[in-house]
Amino acid sequence: MSALYGLMAEFHDPKAVVEATEAARMAGYRQMDAYSPYPIEALSEALALPKSHVATICLGGGIAGLVAGYGLQYWSSVIEYPMNIGGRPFHSWVAFIPPAYETTILFAAFSAVLGMLALNGLPQPYHPVFNVPAFAGASRDKFFLCIEAGDPLFDAEKTRAFLASQPGVADVAEVQP
Amino acid sequence: MASTPHLDPASAPIIAPGHTFSSVTDKIASIVLARRTPLHWFLGFTIAFSVAQLVLLTIVRLLFWGIGSWGVTVPIGWGFDIINFVWWIGIGHAGTLISAILLLLKQEWRTSINRFAEAMTLFAVVCAAQYPLFHTGRPWIAAYWLLPYPNTMGLWPNFRSPLIWDVFAVTTYASVSAVFWYVGLIPDFATLRDRAKNKLMAMVYGIGSMGWRGSARHWHNYESAYLLLAGLATPLVVSVHTVVSFDFAVGVLPGWHATIFPPYFVAGAIYAGFAMVLTLAIPLRAWYGLKDFITDRHLDNMAKVMLATGLIVAYGYAMEAFFAWYSASSWEIFMIRNRMFGPYGHMYWALILCNVVAPNTLWVPRLRHSHAWLFFISLVVSVGMWLERYVIIVTSLHRDFLPSSWGMYQGTVWDWSFFIGTIGLFVTLLYLFVRFLPAISMFEMKTILPGARVEEHHS
Amino acid sequence: MTNATHPVPPALERMLTSTLGLGLAALAVCGLGALSSPDQFLRSYLFAFFFWVSVPIGSLGLLMLQHLTGGRWGALLRRFFEAWSRTLPAAFVLFLPVLLGYAKIYPWAHPPADDKIIAHKALYLNGTAWAGRAIFFFALWSLFAWLFSKWSAEQDRDGLTPGLSSRFQALAGGGLVTLVLTVTFASIDWGMSLNPHWFSTIYGVIYLVGAVLATMAVCIVVLSRMAHEEPFLHVMRKDTVHDLGKLLFAFNMLWAYMNLSQFLIIWSGNLPEEIPYYLARINGAWGALGLFVVLFHFVVPYAILLSRDVKRTLRLLAPMAAWLLLMRLVDTYWTLGPDLAGHHGSEAAAFHLHWMDVLAPVGLGALFVHLFLRQLKSRPLVPQHEAELQTEAAHAAPAHA
Repeated sequence: MSALYGLMAEFHDPKAVVEATEAARMAGYRQMDAYSPYPIEALSEALALPKSHVATICLGGGIAGLVAGYGLQYWSSVIEYPMNIGGRPFHSWVAFIPPAYETTILFAAFSAVLGMLALNGLPQPYHPVFNVPAFAGASRDKFFLCIEAGDPLFDAEKTRAFLASQPGVADVAEVQP
Repeated sequence: MASTPHLDPASAPIIAPGHTFSSVTDKIASIVLARRTPLHWFLGFTIAFSVAQLVLLTIVRLLFWGIGSWGVTVPIGWGFDIINFVWWIGIGHAGTLISAILLLLKQEWRTSINRFAEAMTLFAVVCAAQYPLFHTGRPWIAAYWLLPYPNTMGLWPNFRSPLIWDVFAVTTYASVSAVFWYVGLIPDFATLRDRAKNKLMAMVYGIGSMGWRGSARHWHNYESAYLLLAGLATPLVVSVHTVVSFDFAVGVLPGWHATIFPPYFVAGAIYAGFAMVLTLAIPLRAWYGLKDFITDRHLDNMAKVMLATGLIVAYGYAMEAFFAWYSASSWEIFMIRNRMFGPYGHMYWALILCNVVAPNTLWVPRLRHSHAWLFFISLVVSVGMWLERYVIIVTSLHRDFLPSSWGMYQGTVWDWSFFIGTIGLFVTLLYLFVRFLPAISMFEMKTILPGARVEEHHS
Repeated sequence: MTNATHPVPPALERMLTSTLGLGLAALAVCGLGALSSPDQFLRSYLFAFFFWVSVPIGSLGLLMLQHLTGGRWGALLRRFFEAWSRTLPAAFVLFLPVLLGYAKIYPWAHPPADDKIIAHKALYLNGTAWAGRAIFFFALWSLFAWLFSKWSAEQDRDGLTPGLSSRFQALAGGGLVTLVLTVTFASIDWGMSLNPHWFSTIYGVIYLVGAVLATMAVCIVVLSRMAHEEPFLHVMRKDTVHDLGKLLFAFNMLWAYMNLSQFLIIWSGNLPEEIPYYLARINGAWGALGLFVVLFHFVVPYAILLSRDVKRTLRLLAPMAAWLLLMRLVDTYWTLGPDLAGHHGSEAAAFHLHWMDVLAPVGLGALFVHLFLRQLKSRPLVPQHEAELQTEAAHAAPAHA
């Protein structure tokens, strides 16, 4: 039993999983996660998740892209190989706006995506929750709440009883590591 | 708005009643997971794939023969290549508009069409990319004057040229659209992984899903990233066609050098793009029984967007004509006169007929709600937008400032084969897409089902 | 108006009095200035009018747009847009000084005999046609304003019937097409033709975008003054404020986009018939003002409005909106100023800010806001029988909880 990853309750209704998650947090559980086939904002609230850092990473990427894009143009057209083209100044800042704009967006977008994947720890080839056969429904129409064994309040019996007592629960399963 | 519950597509639901989380999943996933491929798929794919071979054929001919295969010559150095490039890029823009701008505007009806609209974007960009890549006939030399890398000649691209801006804009657009599309697919790959009927498919879709498990902590970051991508894609799509319009407008040629070009090109792109979405959506929903998800409301909304952008394009034509006169510049006045009544006058008026007159029939609700008429108009608009680029490019170039270098232009059989070939390529990619990927975003469809939203109560 | 059965916020009553006083006083002082330097008065007055008339015009546009797209933000501000658009007949009266004194402002009214460019345009740019168009524009816009307000009153009385809804949609659709075209030509007539040699095909679009931005800004400011009072208190919601913030942000980006497009194309082309416009504006003191506009109309507000909290909180959004309104005025000055001063493209246009350039917009603005508030007060401040505003009130947390 000590090797258990956690206990997982199954729900068939989004409201039920949100309420159960809120109840679990009230009861003092912290190390837990809910699973749903589509994003439910109320679940993030129920888990009291802090503000996502993706936006900050994205902003950083955008600023880096702006500096890199403009810097590349300035360096190559003014310092490395200045050349008179059409009588325009070496530092044609007006003309440098569009490419710098594009690199800003490019870097910001990739920072947002890679940042999101990194924060989520993806790609992740293996995860214990997949050991529960019913969990395949999490990508279709089922909702799950998993209280993990690492939680200080976790107790195989009490936690199971707690989960089973939640309204709307369909099943409580053990998650093998 | 008040409702007349029946017969009025404007107030029709965006998803047919009676659907549940499971029915939405099953219906969409089954198209992909079905073992048997429908016969009409094979038939359509074979035809499209055969037509796509024209691309290869043209390129082989081009590499051996050079651009002498084409109709471009002095003074018309830009011909089918840029016409088709702009046409394809423009078509792609509706996909980004639907997936990004309508998401930001909280237009929930976009949900069922955004996935295939995004796919359309990517495939249109693939087709568009063929032209700049091969337009010199010597694609390998493109590397050092397009890409900023330290080469042995010590050369750098000319950043004062809009053509290099175009490289930055289009590559950014292609990569960001691909990433946006893929991010949207991750949760759906997980669904397909969990529902795949054999190990191989489970593995392939499993790799695509990156091990997605629908964790609330993941959704939290995911939603943030998805919205940010939408927020970035919106100014991006505007910038791409703006830069395309700069290809013309920063020059000094009458007919090209006009400050209205950026917004008017962007509107034209969306216009052509929505026409293409309609061209694809009307048969797709019939063949795959997707009328529950792509409802009459969608067609009505798209028709309205098409009408609105068509009117903006018409505004562009009107401003061009008025300011040509108002400028009092003899070059401008000659250009617009030549465009309307010169040797290519018939093309100008055909363009007005296709792009200005025809879509205005969509004001009439009865015509707008007729699927056959809508399909017809969407084809007419696609033709009209191609004519628009033809008229802008050819009529502005063929009457040079120097009458001794005046000339005429006509696409050769190889110009046409390249163009028709990319249409085949586009359709081929679409066929592959509807067979192997969910054409409608399953997880997003679930968010708009009744009962999906859970109100937050602050405890 | 005295026996209004709908709640009228005390803040509105206060603003009515203060704006009338300010407007009349400032314009009276300008009137004294007109006695000593009538030409300068007309120039300052035209600048002020060109800016302020953009608000009723932008309101008419946004009113039509929200009838077509729906959305809660539009329902919340519909009465603002309607009230602004009903100031258009009065705006025509305020236009009379320009209409009567146009010959003193516009160079095409007395062209040099050898000016072939102006001679070519005489068919369009002549006093009769110019005045006729102005009268036509105001008449047409007033007609639109009157119809929308009349039908809106019908909705207050009988609810939004399907017939009424389709009438709204049809008028909004056709109206928007007409409005965009007429505003384009109005902006050419009143603004661009100050420099009759110069032209830019995007000019009308830039004016329109500036107009909707100014409208959004002024409506947010006025709304913030009354948001804590009925009837707004119970319909205000955070997400609607967020939408208003997003629209302000988007319109400002659109403004920057249109202006950058025009500048980049003309800068790159560097043609003698176009570039003087910018030479007069990017050098010397005008150049400094232009840089100020770029930084404080776009860059800084853009950075601030990136914040979700600023867009969602009316208390933070309103100062931003007020600032943008001021920047719209500064930008209009930068756009018209060199031409009003008669510098059609010398490289070093002299910068000379007359005191009436400051006082005329203050006076005219206060008067316009006063007229707007009078109109706003005459009807219920939010539309009645409006599904957007009713159904959601139940499960919504008030914005200022």
